[in-house]
Amino acid sequence: MKQLVFVVLCFALFFSLVSAKTVEIWSWRTQDAEVWQVVQKNLRAKGEDITIDFRAFIPTEYDAKLFLALQGGTGPDIAYIRRLPGGRTQALVEGKLIKPLDQAIDFSNFSESVQKNVTMDARLWGVPFAVQVCGIFYNEDIFKENKLSEPRTWDEMLEICKVLKAKGIDPFFCTAKEDWTLTMQHAMCGVSILGPAWIKRLTEGKVDFLDQDWIYLQTLLNDLKVYYQDGYMGNDTNDMNAAFAFGQAAMVFYGAWGYQTWKELNPDINVGYFMVPPDWEGDNAYAYIYMDGAFSLTSIAKNPTDAMKVLKYTATPEFGTIFTGITANIPAVNGAIMPDIPLLKEVMDAGANWASPYVYWVGSPFVVQQPSLYDGVLSPGMQAMYMGQITPTELAQRAQDALSQWYKPLMRKLGKIK
Amino acid sequence: MSCKIRYILLFTIPALSLYTLFVIYPFGYSLFLSFFKWSGAGPKLFVGLDNFKSILFGRMSQEFINALLHNFYFFARNALCELGVAFLIAIVLASRIWGQRFFRTIVYLPNVISMVLVGFIWVMMLNPQWGLINQVLKAVGLKHLAQPWLGQPKTALTTVILVNVWRNIGFYILVFLAAIIGIPNDIFDAAYIDGAKNWRVIWKIIFPMTFSTFQTLLILIFIWSFNIFDVVYSLAGVQAGPVRSTDVLGTVFYRTAFGGLGSSGQDYGLGAAIVVLIFLMVIPLSMIYALMMDRRKRVE
Repeated sequence: MKQLVFVVLCFALFFSLVSAKTVEIWSWRTQDAEVWQVVQKNLRAKGEDITIDFRAFIPTEYDAKLFLALQGGTGPDIAYIRRLPGGRTQALVEGKLIKPLDQAIDFSNFSESVQKNVTMDARLWGVPFAVQVCGIFYNEDIFKENKLSEPRTWDEMLEICKVLKAKGIDPFFCTAKEDWTLTMQHAMCGVSILGPAWIKRLTEGKVDFLDQDWIYLQTLLNDLKVYYQDGYMGNDTNDMNAAFAFGQAAMVFYGAWGYQTWKELNPDINVGYFMVPPDWEGDNAYAYIYMDGAFSLTSIAKNPTDAMKVLKYTATPEFGTIFTGITANIPAVNGAIMPDIPLLKEVMDAGANWASPYVYWVGSPFVVQQPSLYDGVLSPGMQAMYMGQITPTELAQRAQDALSQWYKPLMRKLGKIK
Repeated sequence: MSCKIRYILLFTIPALSLYTLFVIYPFGYSLFLSFFKWSGAGPKLFVGLDNFKSILFGRMSQEFINALLHNFYFFARNALCELGVAFLIAIVLASRIWGQRFFRTIVYLPNVISMVLVGFIWVMMLNPQWGLINQVLKAVGLKHLAQPWLGQPKTALTTVILVNVWRNIGFYILVFLAAIIGIPNDIFDAAYIDGAKNWRVIWKIIFPMTFSTFQTLLILIFIWSFNIFDVVYSLAGVQAGPVRSTDVLGTVFYRTAFGGLGSSGQDYGLGAAIVVLIFLMVIPLSMIYALMMDRRKRVE
């Protein structure tokens, strides 16, 4: 009898596993694995017999893997996609490898500005998952010990750097080995130093990269390098995470996504945030925010019905609460209950009230073609400038030469096209 | 004879199928793709020789030539260090020294570690602040020599090459060791009876008699130097920094075909064209290598 019960139980277990329908999800974000475990649990609690198979790939290889898999008719049911405008997601849409979601999913929980990042040809192609806010993150304990407060101007920030350096503390930890962080630094300083109005004029082709303001910003950054740690050209973000988490540097130019790692490394760290201060007192500081990515339904989905159920769930505040609770990232969906983390609230406030509407890094028209302002110009160019190989003016000239090859408003300004 | 051909075909079909599937087809497809513009999705746009023009004379030429020169530099330094040092160590290990067997085993150990792990270990060792290399330099009073080895153009590529040498030298030592051990002892005995000193034995006997090994290894190093990717990727990343100072054709291909961290487009056609150019550079020496091996077999 016991044997019979055991066999029946084994069969029941086997069939329950087999009958559970699997939704495969591909991503470049390893940190989201736990999120999907909780989502699976919650969906099952709601009576949906769905198994989520989450797979994360190396960020630099992810897009190529996804393209090739979808092109070959394999690949996931749900794929993480990058924001729009952007060549990679545009190619997915144009290649009909992902499906529009606006008629199947309720997007009322997403702001218009967030929806703009997944919109192409007046259709919505993904459910946005996170909004990233960049700025200067600092060690509150170091600031308190040295009686320092958040600076209101660039000069005040330099004064803080002087005080810290005199006391043997590295004011900034710079990760120049990973050149994308230098572009990020340039871009987040640009929104406050140049201001959104200037960037708007740049976007419209009314000013160009040889403008004195642009060169001035690069000069400010070049002068700041005396406050970076020794050997900063050889440091990457892993070094920065460890150094910042354990108080070896007071400040970093980074994004809110770093908080999770710093806390994991050192649960006792107290992190503060301020937007890059403007050059003049009275001017506003701005935050660089961008939508990180979205979940999209692939056109080759093996299990589209259940994939759609998962996607619908990700468009709810409940998902946002799970997402932010685990990753400490700001969810793209409105109405999520935020974890009780003061820094996250501060960053969210900055994002909500002081987001620059015009930018020139991710999410901007300057990075949609090659040579892009991002990895074609500023990433290698900032490294070269920091090493003294080129001057701020020469870096500006590089930007001008590169973008004038394809960026139409600039080409028009320079008389290359009508 | 017809029966023989049938058998030859029958027995070569499995190997030939695999070779076609994994070598001929991918290369043929790369060649095909190199005439198209293709982002990985959607239709392929035929562009003729535009991709090659763009790489050799257009917007990618500077990046391509920079990487190509690095490949040559990689080859020259690698050949010098790996062959030179490996030859000398092999001579030492071939002589009757204490712990000979132990050293013969240990020199090959780095070779069994995967390159990703080698990269991870050396990135930590070379960390500017807390890396072992700089810490040791500081501890022995050579603080002025401590520097961000991978963070400045003047040292980055050489550092990458030295890590590559550290990892691969065991293989070259073993090849030289086998060649040296293969020299009949009578020749050494005769030389020493005639009063030859060690350096003369090395220069007049060991070097000439292992010269064909040098030739073979040199060609292999050339081929491998043009296919190099993993060591640069694991130490300097896909952007091959700083300022592309460690960029090689492999990383240029990777960035072009698979995209970097930016949101700019990627192009498989352009990437495939780079692969075709690498192939065209490597194939003449590969053929010389094959001919040399064939001739040696015939002589034997």
